[in-house]
Amino acid sequence: MIPGRHERDLDPDELVALVESLAAHSREWEDLVDHDPRRRTYHEILRDRHVSAWLICWTDEQDTGFHDHDLSAGAVTVVRGRVTEERLALGAPPRRRVVGTGASFAFGAADIHRVAHAPGEPAVTLHAYSPPLWRMGAYAVEPDGSLKRHSVSYAEELRPLGAPLSA
Amino acid sequence: MRVDIHQHLWTEPLVAALARRDEPPYVRRIDGEWVLRIPGEPDWALQPATLDLEARAEEVRRDGVDLALVAPSSPVGFEALPADQARPLVEAHLEGLAGAPECFAAWGVLALADARPAEVDDLLDRGHVGLSLPAGAIATPAGLDRCGPWLECLERRDAPLFVHPGPAPWSRPVPHPGGAPLWWPALTGYVAEMNAAWHAFVAAGRSAHPRLRVAFAMLAGVAPVHLERLAARGGPAGAGLEPDVYYDTSSYGERTVDAMVRCVGIDQIVYGSDRPVVGPAPWGLGQAARHAALVENPQRLLSGARAAAPARAYA
Repeated sequence: MIPGRHERDLDPDELVALVESLAAHSREWEDLVDHDPRRRTYHEILRDRHVSAWLICWTDEQDTGFHDHDLSAGAVTVVRGRVTEERLALGAPPRRRVVGTGASFAFGAADIHRVAHAPGEPAVTLHAYSPPLWRMGAYAVEPDGSLKRHSVSYAEELRPLGAPLSA
Repeated sequence: MRVDIHQHLWTEPLVAALARRDEPPYVRRIDGEWVLRIPGEPDWALQPATLDLEARAEEVRRDGVDLALVAPSSPVGFEALPADQARPLVEAHLEGLAGAPECFAAWGVLALADARPAEVDDLLDRGHVGLSLPAGAIATPAGLDRCGPWLECLERRDAPLFVHPGPAPWSRPVPHPGGAPLWWPALTGYVAEMNAAWHAFVAAGRSAHPRLRVAFAMLAGVAPVHLERLAARGGPAGAGLEPDVYYDTSSYGERTVDAMVRCVGIDQIVYGSDRPVVGPAPWGLGQAARHAALVENPQRLLSGARAAAPARAYA
């Protein structure tokens, strides 16, 4: 079963434990797996006052762009395929890692990162956020090199805004 | 299909039926325009443009909406009158809707004093999308009990309930203080009764009607923003978060809708304009959120088509 009611916000380590627990109960979300070459697909699979959890399906070159989660911490576990995660760094290339099936990572509300589908089979990831994701910051680089943060509702799919922010 | 779940129409048969009345609620022709008199509220002038159904249909198109659902103007109180007075007005309302342009569909309406459950079946058979009840009808657990047979019918027929401000025969009207401005009832009595109806549903409605889909007008008076207080007072705060309860955006703008999104999530928000009483505020939450509120969420509300919806475990 998907875990029950949470009585307080969870920290990143607890969120990793939650997404790994969700991953172990694939019957709860397997039917929702749905890859679409036009966009990442999202399904919210759990919501209470302190936590929301999502299933996200990735294919081709789908990419969130650099973003933050405003007030929420989060964790991701990869249940199929591979994704890359990049952390934004000033004056240095983003710190990049490839996260394969069965691996997880966590982040705090202050972290700025970007997640993309890694070449290979379509990927499926499970995400948990605490408190539930509400607003996000999406980052773009202007032609003069200045970095802009756009505040967006969590309902907006995070695609790269403007020029891609890559190394 | 893009749906506005909350509009009102003043049709000729309804205006004529209200004009025949001697006691409020009634309409009178004063200085060339129809003026509506409601017990306990300031007089309200019905602008000519609101009476022109073709102009209203054009407005629906201009709003970028394919289908507008018409709710009874429940604050007028005609559903709450004694049955012999309510029935001619309900019939006039339904007769007027039958002649409305195709971009309009309607919530069903009952003469509350003595309506039988079979009348809900009849409304659904006639193509109404669900039933609209005034918030005063279900603002207490006892009121919910009285409405129980109608709500059971909606559940059985897999049709939704719409809750709109307004009185019931068994509700206590909120008095309008003399000298208060025109907007006073909308910001006091309406908010209070929508809040009460939502809390009554959390306290008693869901357990009695486990499969009922409900949409509350005007974000239920922003009742779910009180979830933390509900938890602090020992209430079932988890019951406030569930996939079959929806909130229309009527009369609220970006900041309040965003506050509700933080509390209940975007999947519970449905677009409702409350035209012609007010118009929609500019949408400030982005195109994906607009698509959810205008297309996907109303589809789930109206059809219960969960196969196409996120399957969520609400804890």
